[in-house]
Amino acid sequence: MSVEIELAGEGGGLATEEMVLNMGPQHPSTHGVLRFIVTADGEVMRRAVPDIGYLHRSIEKIAEKVGWHGFMPYTDRVDYVAAMTANQGWAMCAERLGGIEVPKRGEYCRVIAAELGRACSHLLGFGAMGMDIGAITPFTHALREREMINDLLEELCGARLTFNYLRIGGVAWDLPPGYEEKVLRFLDRFELAVDEMGELLSDNRIWVERLAGVAPVPPAMAMAYGLAGPNLRASGVNYDCRKAHPYSVYNDFEFDVPVGTGEKGELGDCYDRYICRLREIRQSSRIVRQAIEKIPDGPVIAKVPRNFKPRAGDCHVVLESARGEMDWYCASDGTEYPYRVHIKTGSFTAMSIMEALSPGLMIADLVAVIASFDIVAPEVDR
Amino acid sequence: MSYIGNITDTFSSIFEGMSITFSQFFRPAYTVQYPDRMPVRVQDTLPYRYRGILEVDLEICTGCLACERACPINCIVIDAEKNKETKALVLKRFDIDMAKCMYCGLCSEPCPTGSIHHTREFEGSDYSLESLVRRFVKVPVDAYKPKKTGENDPAIVPILERGMRYIEEFAQPEKKAS
Repeated sequence: MSVEIELAGEGGGLATEEMVLNMGPQHPSTHGVLRFIVTADGEVMRRAVPDIGYLHRSIEKIAEKVGWHGFMPYTDRVDYVAAMTANQGWAMCAERLGGIEVPKRGEYCRVIAAELGRACSHLLGFGAMGMDIGAITPFTHALREREMINDLLEELCGARLTFNYLRIGGVAWDLPPGYEEKVLRFLDRFELAVDEMGELLSDNRIWVERLAGVAPVPPAMAMAYGLAGPNLRASGVNYDCRKAHPYSVYNDFEFDVPVGTGEKGELGDCYDRYICRLREIRQSSRIVRQAIEKIPDGPVIAKVPRNFKPRAGDCHVVLESARGEMDWYCASDGTEYPYRVHIKTGSFTAMSIMEALSPGLMIADLVAVIASFDIVAPEVDR
Repeated sequence: MSYIGNITDTFSSIFEGMSITFSQFFRPAYTVQYPDRMPVRVQDTLPYRYRGILEVDLEICTGCLACERACPINCIVIDAEKNKETKALVLKRFDIDMAKCMYCGLCSEPCPTGSIHHTREFEGSDYSLESLVRRFVKVPVDAYKPKKTGENDPAIVPILERGMRYIEEFAQPEKKAS
């Protein structure tokens, strides 16, 4: 909730000085290495300027040196909390340039993996949000479920975080035997657990008081700043890449897009962003169920030569990552190496709105705002 | 009036949360006490596709350099030379820098015999960076040459079989394509 700033010295009050505070880069609630330069007057912020770049690893430049196949493990590191969708972005880029048709079963495998990854990421997102605000219990519950998804993904592709599961033209490995039943069994339990986690927080008086009405983002402002994903939808804008321009096989599935309504406070406040994520987890599990039901037989990967050389030209791929719309731009000059790769991610645009949101907020609320945007620092810098 | 309502709301939501917390006492525990109190080694519980520390079976390495080319960070270094007298390929050096390796699995995919493969071993901490460079060639050895006819050396048959099973279940996605 915004606090009226009383101008220092006016009305006979004590004149107070503004203070410049550094929050970060190593701050436990900045989710990685992020720095905020906060100009504060007492407990109230005048301005919070994000300083990004501490985690810049020049991933885009690396792509120009390691080639088409070799870049796949690096895309895991773009957003290490939801690595599957970043994998998919790169694979889709290369496939569009190379004119490769992905087999149906491969696409379904991708959807199953990506949606499990999305649920995984949202679990960490709202678990960490609870922890930043002071509710430690939901974090342990969320991580317990997340570990189980990680176990499933480990069985699928051999790694828990940096999956490197997708390949240009499909996926590396088919679902292991008995995997479908295992996932369904997990989902039965998981959906109950998510509801329980929601019970822990959603109606909790302290939680609602802490978040409702804090830093509301009106729809027009959200669009002007280019917010993406759950952050945009929390502001009441119904835009999801999976629905708006379906890629992969998302046309085959029925799912809802949770949109913020301002049910506890204002439209687009921290609470809306939290509740949107929580509801998206349920939608992800719905998609996984449908994908397992409909998955066709056949190969999982198309024939792609080892020294893959796509046509010269460029392409632009848009897909829905856990942190919002992920844009991949790729230019090729027809050689073994991409000419230029550019990635735009949801966390980056969420950072841009921070400065506009901060005036009048309490310093303690900044933590809630960062957490509610679900910012992952490596995705900001790439 | 709303003051009292707020107080009752706060208390009731605390008890709602505490009831969930309390119910956890009666559910099975999910935590394990790694490493000393595990009933089985963690390595044995990992799935087959787990990408752990790399291992090379030199007996069946053909010296084709496919893994070296596939590695995006060049952590594999292989020196293979033709012996002028016997016309056989001699492996002089096969180093993997496990400190650099990012366990992506791109090297074990193109291997024709399944020689380079991921184990399920993951406990690789060490005191120095140098000791993380695994040097597989101690003395130069002849590279494996697939036999068109005749029997393989009985000593390497089980290793070959292991490699083939690895390829079958893990590697070479492009060969399985339609």
